[in-house]
Amino acid sequence: MKRVVITGMGAVSPLGENVASMVNGLEHGKTAVRFMEGWDQYKGLHSLIGAPAELKNEMAIPRQKRRSMGRMSIFAVQAAEQAISEAGLSLPDMTSGRTGCILGSTMGGVEATNGIFELLIPTKDLTLLSSMSFFKCMSHTAAMNVAQCFGITGYVLATSAACASALQALGMGFELIRSGRQDVLLCGGAEELHPIVTATFDILFATSTHYNSEPHLSPRPFDEKRDGLVCGDGAGVLILEESEHALRRGAKIIAEVIGYSTCGSGEHVSESNRQGILNCMGRALKDAGISAQEVDYVSAHATATLQGDQAEAEAIRDIFGASVPVSGLKGHMGHTLGASGALELIASLVMMQKNRIYPTLNLKTIAKECEGIWHVMEPLNRKVDVVLKNCFAFGGINASLVCKKWS
Amino acid sequence: MNDQDVIDRINSVFENSFEIDREKLKPEMRIFDDLGLDSLDIVDLIVALQKKFSIRIRDDERVRQIRTLGDVHRFVLILKAEGLVSDV
Repeated sequence: MKRVVITGMGAVSPLGENVASMVNGLEHGKTAVRFMEGWDQYKGLHSLIGAPAELKNEMAIPRQKRRSMGRMSIFAVQAAEQAISEAGLSLPDMTSGRTGCILGSTMGGVEATNGIFELLIPTKDLTLLSSMSFFKCMSHTAAMNVAQCFGITGYVLATSAACASALQALGMGFELIRSGRQDVLLCGGAEELHPIVTATFDILFATSTHYNSEPHLSPRPFDEKRDGLVCGDGAGVLILEESEHALRRGAKIIAEVIGYSTCGSGEHVSESNRQGILNCMGRALKDAGISAQEVDYVSAHATATLQGDQAEAEAIRDIFGASVPVSGLKGHMGHTLGASGALELIASLVMMQKNRIYPTLNLKTIAKECEGIWHVMEPLNRKVDVVLKNCFAFGGINASLVCKKWS
Repeated sequence: MNDQDVIDRINSVFENSFEIDREKLKPEMRIFDDLGLDSLDIVDLIVALQKKFSIRIRDDERVRQIRTLGDVHRFVLILKAEGLVSDV
């Protein structure tokens, strides 16, 4: 099988407009979580905090390409542009048919979907609908818009597995290149913050509700005072490339993707499942052909829900014990849902480059049920050659990806 | 609302919705070839004109005959003459 490497990364995150600003925020222990003005108009919405990315410079995208883009697609295009630029890919690469695009999201463009409801429910008048409404809200809106914007003529796919969407996109890209079906794939995910999105978790008692007046203290992954997740938005895109293809054109190689697994837990529609997570991480390591002891850092899903963090901590303990550093980045960026797998993988690869692990922000006192693993609570300078990234989603969906320093 | 107001309002739709410079908005400009709109933009042009003038033209067959910006001006002015345009 072919080897798959990463040659470019792009991010629009709650911490800033590019990878450098995201890393700067992580380095300085910043949080992007804040009180969301206007959300208190929704009856029954208890969590009034979020971690929004900033929409800026969108007018730089030509109108005819931009017209079909909602907030998440603009983020995705901007992240893709950064990744393409870093990888040094050119137009002929895009249009060769051997370059594709796989971008996931939870449910497509929520603002556009909500806009349609707000227009049609009171009026029931279809003649008011813009031609672009559907293009902005459909579940493959980010993938389609990125492909259109950059003239991509290979595979164009959209994974849709809620919070595991981006990691599934990366995993699928890994498999398509490894099997020789594509040479280059733009992979990742995008998401847009909206009270309706937070509400889907809020009504299940899965959001953080006790920190509306102190947003910077939440979410608190693995902490004894954690009380749920905080939604965020943005986009992360990585360039996956067949290694020989990258070497031939002299690309700078950031890391190699060496293993992947995704699986269902087959147990519960919303609860994380220790055995399912265990299976997923174990299969990813087996796919990579490495032992647990060879992993230098686990980038946890760690949304700060009571049950989810416990299940993940238990599964990590089962495989790694307390010998591998673990942290989660949602204290800094909130849960960027369909983008989280890509954004947090990018951050993990920067940690690999720097041999410096960023801690779990807001983790002050480890919850008893999350003990037994090596929680990183302060920046840790340590060799990072192999990273395992976890993402889990509603529906009992698990995904784990393993990356290694290129050699 | 006089006829020039109608024309100005139509031109503002082209400026604001389709980001076309005011200098290009001459009656003889062909909507597709000169102003760069396509079939999807026409849907949004109709939606914008409906909103701007409180009219319903989506199913009006005369829309299909429109080729130039001047055609749009004349079409809405005919609707105004028919008393169908509201000053919203």
